[in-house]
Amino acid sequence: MALHAFVPRRENRLLWGGALGVALLLPLALRSEYLLSIAVQAGIYVILASSLNVTNGYTGLFSFGHAAFYGIGAYTAAILATRLGWSFTLTLPAAGLVAGLIGAALALITLRLSGIFLALVTIGFQEITFLVTLNWIGLTRGPMGIPGVPPPALGGFELRGNIGFYYLILALDVLTLFVLARVVTSRVGRAFVAIREDELAAQASGLPTFKLKVLAFVIATFFAGLAGAFFAHHARFVSADSFRLDETFVILTMLIVGGLGSFLGPIIGAVALVVLPEISRFLAEYRGVVYGLVLIAVILFRPEGVAGVPGIIQPRGLLARPAPPAEDLAP
Amino acid sequence: MSLLEVSGLGVAFGGLAALKNVSFSLEDHEIVGLIGPNGAGKTTLFNCLSGFQAPDQGTMRFRGEPMERRAPYEIAARGLARTFQTSRVFKRMTVLEHVLVGLHRHQRAGFWAAVARPRWVADEERTARARGIALLGLFEDRLLPRLDDFADSLSYANRRRLEIARALATEPTLLLLDEPTAGMNPHESAGIVRLIQAIRDRGITVFLIEHDMKVIMNASDRIVVLDHGEKIAEGRPEEIRRNPDVVSAYMGHRGARA
Repeated sequence: MALHAFVPRRENRLLWGGALGVALLLPLALRSEYLLSIAVQAGIYVILASSLNVTNGYTGLFSFGHAAFYGIGAYTAAILATRLGWSFTLTLPAAGLVAGLIGAALALITLRLSGIFLALVTIGFQEITFLVTLNWIGLTRGPMGIPGVPPPALGGFELRGNIGFYYLILALDVLTLFVLARVVTSRVGRAFVAIREDELAAQASGLPTFKLKVLAFVIATFFAGLAGAFFAHHARFVSADSFRLDETFVILTMLIVGGLGSFLGPIIGAVALVVLPEISRFLAEYRGVVYGLVLIAVILFRPEGVAGVPGIIQPRGLLARPAPPAEDLAP
Repeated sequence: MSLLEVSGLGVAFGGLAALKNVSFSLEDHEIVGLIGPNGAGKTTLFNCLSGFQAPDQGTMRFRGEPMERRAPYEIAARGLARTFQTSRVFKRMTVLEHVLVGLHRHQRAGFWAAVARPRWVADEERTARARGIALLGLFEDRLLPRLDDFADSLSYANRRRLEIARALATEPTLLLLDEPTAGMNPHESAGIVRLIQAIRDRGITVFLIEHDMKVIMNASDRIVVLDHGEKIAEGRPEEIRRNPDVVSAYMGHRGARA
C-alpha cells in the first residue's frame, strides 16, 4: 500500500470516480460567479501543491521556489498571448515547457546540494526571479505588469464566465493528477521515494540519483508553469507581486497541512486552505487567527499532515513523540 | 582475469593514511573475509570499491574495467553491490519495494513509459515483482510474510536481512557485506552464515567485513587482514589464525601494555 495509498488506480476507483462526479456537478451548487471563482482558485492550487509534492514530498528535495516557476509560466503565457497573439492552446504547453526548462537548468546547477542548502538556493532563485521580472521592463513591463491577456478561446468561442474556467481548470487538474499518479506508482516514483528515504543507499542500489532528482524538478516545475498559464488567461493580468516568496509559502503550507508525500494530501490542503478563509469571512479580522490556529493544530496533532505519510516529519523537542514499537525486538 | 583486482590502493584523509598500497584480488564464486582491528581501513576500502570514496592512488579493476572514477550507481550497475555498516533501509518503504528498488536497473520504464503505460511496462513490473518475491525466499520465512510491511516496523535483524536482499536484487557478481551480523545473536548469525553460503552457491562472490571470528572462520574461503591501512596478511582461515602478525595486530605485541 504505502506508495499507492489513495492514488487514482483501479482499487481506488470508487473514491476518485466519486470525487470527479462531485467536482463535475459542483457548479450546480455554486450558483454565483464569486463561489465559482473560489472553486477555480482551489483548482489552481491543486496543481501547484500536487506538483510541489513531487520534489518536496516524494523525492525529499526541499524547494522554496515554486511560486517563481508559477510566475514564469504566467509571464510566458502572457507575453506570448499579448505580443505574438498565441492562443491558450499554444501558450499552455509553452508555459509548461519554459518553466520546466528553467527548472532543469536550476536543478542541474543546484542539485549537488541538499537539505537546507538547497532550500536557501531556491529561496535565492525565487527572489532573483522576482527582481528580474520587476526590472526587465523590455520583456515584462516591470512594475506595470502585463494587462489584456485574452481569455482562452476554443474554436471562436471565448471563455468568459467562471463556469467555463471552472471546467477548464478541472480538466487541467484531471490531466495533472493523472500524470502524477502514473509517475508516482511507477518505477520512477519508487526511485524518487528511495532517494528521499536514503540517497546513499539509493545510489548503492544502482539508482542514478542525480538524473532522477533533475527529473523530479522538471516534472514539478512543468506543472507549476501550466498553472501559471491558466492564471494568466483567467486573471487576464499578470504582475510580479503575485509570484513572490509568500506565494511559495502558501503552496507549501497547503502541501504540509494536507500531507507531504501522499497523493491525496496536497489536494485536501489546497481545497481546505482556499475554502477556509472564505467560510470564516464572517469572523472579520479574526479570520487570520482561525487560519493560524488550524495550522498550529495540524502541526501539533498530525505533524505529517491530514493525509500524510506517518513519520515523514519527525518533530523534535517539545513536540517529540516516542517511536512506534518495532515488530519483534526479541529474536 | 580475476573478478576484482585491486592494486596499490591508497587513501589519505588529511595527514592520516586510511589505506596504504593495498593490493589483492577476488576470484569468481568465493567468500573472502576482510578483518582487522577498529580503524584498520576496512570500511574505507569498501567505500572505495563501491565508488563512495575516490582513491588517491592505485587501481581497481572489476571484470577488467577500471572503476576508480566511477560513480556509485555506475559501479552498482556493473554488478558490484554493497550493504552498509549501519542500517540504511528505506524506512517508509515496504519490504517488496526495497527489492524493487534494487531491481531498478533491470527495468526500463522511464517517465514517458510510466505515463503512457504500454503493455510492456505492466509486464516488466509483474516480472520484477515475481523476481523480488523469489529473491526474498532466500531469507527463510523472515521477509516473505512481511512483503507489505514498512521497513521501520521490522526488527533489527530483519532490517539487516532486507538490506542484503536489496543489494542482491541488483543481481551483482560481487557483493560487499559490511558487518552483516553486527548486533545479532548466535542463532541469527548462524543463519547469516548459511545465507552467505547460499549467495555464493548462486555464483556470487562475497567480500565480507566481520568482527565475529566464528562467522569469519566458518564462512570464508580466504581472509584478507588490514591493520593501520595496510594489508598485513592474506590466506586461508587456518593460516590466518596462526599468523603471528595478525595475532599481534589484534592482541598487541608481546610485552607491550594493551
